[in-house]
Amino acid sequence: MLHPPLDQQPIDPAYPFRSESPLSREERKARFLGALKGILELDLYDRPLKMYLDTCARCNNCAGQCPVFQATGDVHDLPAWRSDLLRRVYRRYFTPSGRLLGRLVGAKKLTAGDIDAMVEAFYRCTMCRRCAVHCPLAVDNALITRIGRVLLAEIGFVPKNITVSVAAQLAKGGNTSSIPPAAFIDTLDFLEEELVDETGINIPIPRDVEGAEYFFAAPVSDYIMEADTLMGIARVFHAAGASWTVGTENYDAINYGLFYSDDKLEEILNRLLAEVRRLKCGTLVIGECGHATKAALLFHKVFGRSEYRDIRIESILQVTRRFLAEGKISFAASKDQGSVTYHDPCNLGRGLGLYEEPRELLAAAGIEVVEMQPNREMNLCCGGGGGLVVAPDLHDWRMSVGGLLKAEQLRATGAKTVVAPCANCKKQLRELVQHHNIDMEVAGLHDLVGRALTREEKA
Amino acid sequence: MPTIELAGKTYEVDEDGFLEDLDKWNEEFAQAYASTEDIQGTLTEEHWKLIHYLRNYFQQFGIAPMIRKVCKDNGIDMKKLYELFPTGPAKGACKLAGLSKPTGCV
Repeated sequence: MLHPPLDQQPIDPAYPFRSESPLSREERKARFLGALKGILELDLYDRPLKMYLDTCARCNNCAGQCPVFQATGDVHDLPAWRSDLLRRVYRRYFTPSGRLLGRLVGAKKLTAGDIDAMVEAFYRCTMCRRCAVHCPLAVDNALITRIGRVLLAEIGFVPKNITVSVAAQLAKGGNTSSIPPAAFIDTLDFLEEELVDETGINIPIPRDVEGAEYFFAAPVSDYIMEADTLMGIARVFHAAGASWTVGTENYDAINYGLFYSDDKLEEILNRLLAEVRRLKCGTLVIGECGHATKAALLFHKVFGRSEYRDIRIESILQVTRRFLAEGKISFAASKDQGSVTYHDPCNLGRGLGLYEEPRELLAAAGIEVVEMQPNREMNLCCGGGGGLVVAPDLHDWRMSVGGLLKAEQLRATGAKTVVAPCANCKKQLRELVQHHNIDMEVAGLHDLVGRALTREEKA
Repeated sequence: MPTIELAGKTYEVDEDGFLEDLDKWNEEFAQAYASTEDIQGTLTEEHWKLIHYLRNYFQQFGIAPMIRKVCKDNGIDMKKLYELFPTGPAKGACKLAGLSKPTGCV
């Protein structure tokens, strides 16, 4: 497949991907190149990034893997083309052959038009890494997308909805959904009442318990959207007799820094770790959220302050699975849940390899899973990854492009419920089934796991 | 700041059309906005009950309540909530009630 010229103006004006930078077009180029130079000098990125930028055979294997390209058929959505936007600039300015031979070796001088193309292209990628799994040269286009976004952020380009959420989180005591502490506590009280109604016993959601073993942080939007997930998690901790707590000074695991800024990622992560330390807890448990889990687990040792390195970090999926293995929780014979399918969130599956833990929990709870095809490392992104789900103005794109194949895949299972242990995926999937008229409920993993528990009276 | 004209009055809103100031809200605002949120015709008693409920909670806590709480306190289920506000509680209902836009994964 021929690639179109890189300075050809993309792409599809139907969708509002453009953001605005305050810098002049000339300033953008210089600052962009300066930032790229800086990134290439970092130990963290130097080798993998150069490897991915140096090696692409243009075999276009990624074409068959990318759900966005499959939906549009537009070469601008081809992962190899998108990555080439950065690759050619890298070659021109940072490799000897590119400086000398230019276009002969795929190098190209950076223009302001190239930057415009990147602003759109790097946000039409949901960073799902399905192409990376299938690349014969193991190029991770999602890392290139991420670095592309970091560079664009350096020159002022970030979608408004992401920056609004991050700004709210970084305001004192803030969080991405701007839930004030009084509302948070009122919600915890409400959930405790609901737990009594549902189980007939008192299942506390402990707050600010110093020295608790587990510090639990959900994606904060769960406190608006996902009562069943939170109640299921409380039931698991309670049934296992675990000592756990939430913190009332920081209760948000979301970290949108993962999508566009290492500085923000670092700041948000360390604020959360500071709260874990304030309460002297040993383990930070991240709730059902793909990107938040990945941001904390993978970047803890990179960006976490040295005094926080001794804090353990786990996904709630790992914790609950371990409770089961240790015999701390068990399940009753399942009531009929109807047919259930399981969606592998990209950041939990391809990102962290958490494929079997949720399936083993569902199986133990007596819930038979109708697998969607493909699944596990080849599962399709929900279509709202990479931070796009928080943008209401991209709703139409997420429905008719990003999530188009996902909708067909969901429908083909014929399942009554799709389980997705990720706040981001759940929001997108609910919108998808509504938009595409698919008769399916969307639930978190612990919604079902919590209801199947026995021995809750133990603790 | 963007503005929107509804029923002959001008309101300051954010870029997604959410009212900037909770106190500038009035019932004409909600009614005039209904059609853009896929609600046909005149707002019913059930709509108004929810709108006032959301506004009261927001005045007290500075945020909309958990969706489960909205349903429970008003004796409705999620399905009914979406029937009343087809674009969803976070978008449609909050917008009509004059609340600021919920951010994050909501």
